[in-house]
Amino acid sequence: MIGTSSALIGAVVLLVLILVWIRADSASRRLPSVLDDWLPDQGEAREICPPEFVSQIFSGQDLAFISRLESPDLKRHFLRERSAVALLWVQQTTAAIRRIMRRHLEASRLSEDIEFATEARIFLQYAQLRLICGVLFLLIGLAGPQKLHGIALYADGLTQRIGSVLGEFKSGSRTREMDGAPSS
Amino acid sequence: MSVAVRLVPVQEAYEDLLNRTLSRISCDLGRLIYLASTRDYNTGNYYHEGLAGRFSPDIARKALEIAHRRAFYELSAFSLEDLASDLEAYLRSSRENPQEFLRAWQKLEPYRVAIPTEVHLTVARLFTSNLRLALAILRFRQEPSH
Repeated sequence: MIGTSSALIGAVVLLVLILVWIRADSASRRLPSVLDDWLPDQGEAREICPPEFVSQIFSGQDLAFISRLESPDLKRHFLRERSAVALLWVQQTTAAIRRIMRRHLEASRLSEDIEFATEARIFLQYAQLRLICGVLFLLIGLAGPQKLHGIALYADGLTQRIGSVLGEFKSGSRTREMDGAPSS
Repeated sequence: MSVAVRLVPVQEAYEDLLNRTLSRISCDLGRLIYLASTRDYNTGNYYHEGLAGRFSPDIARKALEIAHRRAFYELSAFSLEDLASDLEAYLRSSRENPQEFLRAWQKLEPYRVAIPTEVHLTVARLFTSNLRLALAILRFRQEPSH
């Protein structure tokens, strides 16, 4: 009996999660049509969003201002707009960190002096960040970005840390190459 | 050394642009739109006759590009309340009919052309989203019940 109830609860939770995921996914899929072709070329743009903007996207300050205007329509409009921006940030962060990791793995494969502890730490941070991004993707639609300020800042800090560690790794490899040490 | 030598005239040109031209524009949105208007739509290159004459077309182009990107990031970091006030100041300075202005801006979204190249996609999206909201706020304030 307990087994059946647990299975039922599990199935309901799973169903809710799938529905939330579909909702968030469809909201983020709508973004390109809003952005269309007017947005800048991303080829050479910075990969990681500047931290002050992450704080702004997830801050409660603008929501407090909108709430003071006492217009339900404006508030709905604001929540829709800000959730879309927050979802885009999650997508961009996931994609950027995936690109950075892929480049790092390619460089690591060719490198002879790999430190296992450093590699394991980078991988754990990467896995943690991917998990947080997944959670944020689900929760933005449910709770709104303003309630996720802390977790978003944590994810951003982690992204910056991974980016800078891998940047140092890359510049270290370059220095070794310039010094004549074999890196491949 | 060579980088420092190259950057000094750009910095001078940037300050010249700031003091002679941008300081005369009363609001941040106006400055951004002015800077975007110095960019050629076909090539993406910036041009300012006075600045190019005082320095060189290349230095002027670089100074305009830096000023444009900086103005964009500054405005994108505005809170919604500050952005709505700045948009209101821009609307007043345009001397257009406020209702017509708001309708046209909501429909045509001309501010999209003011986004520089090589800025982060999320910031660009935040900028357009905030401007859409600021326009909705001004329209809401103009409703007869307010």
